[in-house]
Amino acid sequence: MKQVVVSLHDVARVHGEGEAAVHALRGVSLQVASGELVAVMGPSGSGKSTLLNLAGGLDRPTGGTVTVEGVDLATVKDLAALRRRSVGYVFQDLNLIPSLTAAENVMLPRELDGVRAHDARRGALEVLGQVGLAHVADRFPDEISGGQRQRVAIARSLVGERRLILADEPTGALDTPTGDEILELLRSRCEAGAAVLLVTHESRYAGWADRVVFLRDGLIADTTAAPVESAR
Amino acid sequence: MSIRHGLLALLSQGPRYGYQLRAEFEASTGATWPLNIGQVYTTLSRMERDGLVASGEEDEQGRVVYTVTEAGRAEMGRWFSTPVAQSDRPRDELVIKLAMAVTAKDVDVGKVVQRQRTATMRTLQELTRAKRAGSAGPAQRLVLDSMIFQAEAEQRWLDHCEAVLKEAGA
Repeated sequence: MKQVVVSLHDVARVHGEGEAAVHALRGVSLQVASGELVAVMGPSGSGKSTLLNLAGGLDRPTGGTVTVEGVDLATVKDLAALRRRSVGYVFQDLNLIPSLTAAENVMLPRELDGVRAHDARRGALEVLGQVGLAHVADRFPDEISGGQRQRVAIARSLVGERRLILADEPTGALDTPTGDEILELLRSRCEAGAAVLLVTHESRYAGWADRVVFLRDGLIADTTAAPVESAR
Repeated sequence: MSIRHGLLALLSQGPRYGYQLRAEFEASTGATWPLNIGQVYTTLSRMERDGLVASGEEDEQGRVVYTVTEAGRAEMGRWFSTPVAQSDRPRDELVIKLAMAVTAKDVDVGKVVQRQRTATMRTLQELTRAKRAGSAGPAQRLVLDSMIFQAEAEQRWLDHCEAVLKEAGA
């Protein structure tokens, strides 16, 4: 059986109190195993990004439990360290630092973790090679294409063998073939053992997932997990 | 489109037997339009009657080679130079089903939309897997891409329906 990397159990997130309270999530249970790509789809305000933030320890739930690699996040004091070591994030706005080269951007989280520059660079070059970008390692973000920048951001999220990858609209404004390349890359990371949770509003990218979860008003409305009869 | 135009396009590469045409038709369209051999021979005999193809002598195995004629080439040229009209396409059952669901009483339209969305998403997952398998040639690959775009458009339309109905119900 595949190992569960992230598990959300009856997770709720309420912003504010009393009558002004906003229920972003109302009790969502979801597991993503090693080697699995799960896509979350839903309209704006359905709770997609909240779910991703809770899964990666960027936010804490007001109800329920979030477990990453067997550790209940409620018991973790230093979430920042967990985020740097276990969880990789890919966002729509790439957040690459313009004054650093591709390799330096990828090295950064390791260096923040106290890894020596020499070792961090070696790790960065290795992972840039895995995403097919060894040749642009020493270029700056504005010297490479949008698709390449996104692959650098993904490389940064992979460095240090992080097993949980959280991707929030990683295809952003990329054209269709480039978006497909990004999904191909995420998929290959899955096959290498990572668990990937992808938030997207584009069904063509959700189609790459093993399982698609539809969120509506903070609840899971449906998933593609169990096949049903088609009545077309 | 008709089968005859597809067969003309295949014959424009050179003479073919009927069974070859069937196999090549399916290979080009990624088996999205399976033909039976009877359809192929019926179409070929009508095309011969209309002067678009010519058949050769039967060989010792009883097989007949077909060749495209000048009139056939002209017909193929006309087909490729004419855009497909929207109204020539068959009616979309889903569109009619949803319109009827909205019109009829006691139908939970939201459920109809949700079920369809999940089913179409499964189709999209299957298409994506087929595309990733990478065994398709360029023609098949483009057919798969077309089906992916269609499924995507259907998903977008379903999301739109849901939003419009939600607003109307609110």
